Amino acid sequence: MQRPKPAVIDRATALRYMGAAGWQPDAAAAALLDKAEALVLDAATPRAALRLLPRSALPTEGQGNDLRRHLEGCSHLLLMAATLGGELDKLLRRLELSDIALATAADAMASVLLEQVCDALEAEQRAYFLQQRGLYLTGRYAPGYGDCPLALNDELCLAIDTVRGCGLAVTEQHLLSPRKSTTAILGAADHPVTGYRAGCATCHLQKKCAYRKRGITCADS
Amino acid sequence: MQIREVFDRRRFVLLDGGMGTQLQSRGLQPGEKPELAALTMPDTLTAIHRDYAAAGADILLANTFGANAKKLAGCGYTLQQVIQASLACARTAAEETGALVGLDIGPLGELLAPAGTLAFADAYDRFAEVIRLGAEAGADLVFLETMTDLYELKAAILAAKETCTLPVFTSMSFEARGRTFTGCTVESYAVTAVGLGADAVGINCSLGPKEILPFAKRLCRSVPAGVPVFVKPNAGLPNPDGSYNLNAAEFAAEMQEYAATGISMLGGCCGTTPAFIAALRDAFAAHTPADKIPVRRSSLCTPVRFVDVQGITVVGERINPTGKKRLKQALRDGDSSYPCAQAVAQAEAGAQVLDVNAGLPGIDEAATLEHLVQELQAVTDLPLQLDSTDPAALARALRIYNGKPIVNSVNGEQKVLDAILPLCKKYGAAVVGLTLDEKGIPPTAEGRFAIAQKITAAANAAGIPNEDIYIDCLTLTASAQQEGAAQTLAALARCKRELGVRTVLGVSNISFGLPCRGYLNTTFLTMAMSAGLDLAIMNPNTPEMMAAVRAYRVLTAQDAQSADYVAAYADVQLQTTQTLKTAAPQPGSAQSGDALYDAVRRGLKAEAKGSVFLPQLLQAATAAQAAFEAIKAKIAASGQATGSKGRIVIATVKGDVHDIGKNIVRVILENYGYDVLDLGRDVAPERVVEAVQRTGAKLVGLSALMTTTVPNMQATIEALHAAGLDCKVMVGGAVLTPDYARMIGADYYCKDAKASADVAKQLLG
Repeated sequence: MQRPKPAVIDRATALRYMGAAGWQPDAAAAALLDKAEALVLDAATPRAALRLLPRSALPTEGQGNDLRRHLEGCSHLLLMAATLGGELDKLLRRLELSDIALATAADAMASVLLEQVCDALEAEQRAYFLQQRGLYLTGRYAPGYGDCPLALNDELCLAIDTVRGCGLAVTEQHLLSPRKSTTAILGAADHPVTGYRAGCATCHLQKKCAYRKRGITCADS
Repeated sequence: MQIREVFDRRRFVLLDGGMGTQLQSRGLQPGEKPELAALTMPDTLTAIHRDYAAAGADILLANTFGANAKKLAGCGYTLQQVIQASLACARTAAEETGALVGLDIGPLGELLAPAGTLAFADAYDRFAEVIRLGAEAGADLVFLETMTDLYELKAAILAAKETCTLPVFTSMSFEARGRTFTGCTVESYAVTAVGLGADAVGINCSLGPKEILPFAKRLCRSVPAGVPVFVKPNAGLPNPDGSYNLNAAEFAAEMQEYAATGISMLGGCCGTTPAFIAALRDAFAAHTPADKIPVRRSSLCTPVRFVDVQGITVVGERINPTGKKRLKQALRDGDSSYPCAQAVAQAEAGAQVLDVNAGLPGIDEAATLEHLVQELQAVTDLPLQLDSTDPAALARALRIYNGKPIVNSVNGEQKVLDAILPLCKKYGAAVVGLTLDEKGIPPTAEGRFAIAQKITAAANAAGIPNEDIYIDCLTLTASAQQEGAAQTLAALARCKRELGVRTVLGVSNISFGLPCRGYLNTTFLTMAMSAGLDLAIMNPNTPEMMAAVRAYRVLTAQDAQSADYVAAYADVQLQTTQTLKTAAPQPGSAQSGDALYDAVRRGLKAEAKGSVFLPQLLQAATAAQAAFEAIKAKIAASGQATGSKGRIVIATVKGDVHDIGKNIVRVILENYGYDVLDLGRDVAPERVVEAVQRTGAKLVGLSALMTTTVPNMQATIEALHAAGLDCKVMVGGAVLTPDYARMIGADYYCKDAKASADVAKQLLG
């Protein structure tokens, strides 16, 4: 299904992705971000696909402890996939050839846009499932975080049929294509559930994390 | 039913309806693979086919939609078992009514490169395997459906055409915006699929009858009369609970509108049932298919860009190494970022098609052209003009081109026509015919017209229609043959008038050897446009030539309300100064960059300290890069030794498509004065080894973003070691750490672009 685009992309988060958290951009950088935002909003074609399945629909063996804890007490899974489409990828590749500054800004803007699209979809689904089905949802958990292997993307995308649903496919190395895409697993239960965020202990970036160096975590920022 | 009835178009041929939704309603559990139904629930599957046959379906599609090696991996059955059993179930049901059985094939479930990492040739092999097994198991036709990527569809059509003799039906799925997920237009789909030999084309899935109707009409207009068109819409649009909003009667009622469109086959997709097909049978019993009235037009396309060649169309000439030292160097080095940047610049300047030529002594033209086309397709939506006289190079480029290209060129020599026209026909390409032959270029318009006649007849005989033939009456240099210009234009006008073909000219040739070439080029272009020129091969970065094109479009009422002209020039202030050459500043030298290098270095240090932020640094680096590029071009043109501080090969490793980090590193290293050969992304270890061997680079930079692609980084390092190459390797990427880098055998871990510049400085100075 096609998803609406927000009118604006969150600047503060985009700057954080560019390693300039909290910085008040100068005029040139602000103009750069304006241009990047317009290009990204024009080229992106946000789409999503989702499916509610019994808990047993995804394998639980070999998927690590983080996901298991995330889904504790849940009877169902809401599998979600979202993408900004292949035309955006092409735009980013074009910019990377002609203007790396604009490309970097557009790349960060696109990542933020994808988050915004997912947040809006999640909020909608949360309300829908509670009202229509009496189901509570956890937050989103994506394969590749914590000790949950990226390879789970294969099963997840097959289960939602993302190729048909939103034009998203998984490569042999379990990466998502188009490039600006994401998958998520939400637990669903007939009682309020919170889920569990993968902590630093199993994070791949544990040893080089800029947040940890500042004494915080990415969840706090 | 006989297959010829499909092509007779005397009555509406009924296709079947949804399979997945039928299997689910008859017991398939969530998580179970539907493609195994023929083996796990054969009676149920046969019963579904039987119900469709009884409802009137003339063609039953076997349950092989997802039957391919990737989706069946680990299922416990071979592909052959699944395909044989699935076709057998459909055949059992078909025999009772005389229906035909189609081998149904859906997308592979992976995106082809450049969107994903699946190579075109691998996609072809996967389809060919399925088609061979299906043909052996007795399918009556091949049905390629629910495709959203034209490139994948091309691989499948070629596989079908080259593996079996069965008729090939193709179907793509469009979103409400009239494009597929990958941005493919209805027209691009139509001309590309038919050009590759699809026997029937259609649209299925994604939308209901009402939403597909306008796209089906466009499809009918875009394919030749002899190619039947079909639709298989969903049962309307999906409800929030996953069901669809139309029942059988409503579906059939909405489908009534198709009776007059020219389509001749209809069925249903997701959510439709045998009852829907029975309702269609009843609704269409009294109708016969309407005539299709195709529009004959000259077109070139990529999936996203459909260029209808009506009026003057600009072909960018810059990706041709003749007389361009910088491009020659890039082609020799295998550096595609330079020609790709040229493509982007020409597109921005107004080019609508790009000429691509890789003919350079001492390089493998076929391999280079193929690679160049792949790389260009990743960054530009413009159709390409494949410019080569080597049939082997053209064959490779045509095979992997995504859309409908134009081949430049054939000429009046019989052996050239015999070698190249069949290639154009096979791959559905348009063709340029040069009006010369073994005796050279005829001096008169009559002589050139005679050759044009011969070329046109030969192309027609090869199955290429007039609208896909572009005759080049050849621009001669005015300084040498001053009377030639008039002959060229006279021949051009006559070809257009008497042969009914399109015309093309390489415009800039007119001015060789004369000063202020822009004046002559622009005047000649204007004369040629008046004579009926369709394709102008020219430099779109020349403002006065693009101005002539835009002005001509205004004066011939092609640019409605002068909208494009105003958009291009509303904010432009014209300056018509002429400067004497002797007063012009001297070009820069290799040393000119030193001040820039210093500035960049200071910027990086400031960024590391936190007094400058990444967006600022990169803006400065981009500006510096433009300056360096200008200096490099001057140096290349002057033949001086380059001021390079050493060569570095960089790549994002195989399997990884995230390369913005690597691209930032490239710009920074170039800013530092290193000569960077960027091999791109998803680069196989062998290519890195080959590049290092060829260039003798002492430093290699590898990037990988994800945990799953770091093993390929290790494999690349091992391959470099195994080849005994004397080079150091620096690595970077989100999931890498210094320990991890050491473990996989890298010499240096770089946490950011500055770190890579520091390593380069330490090693190369």
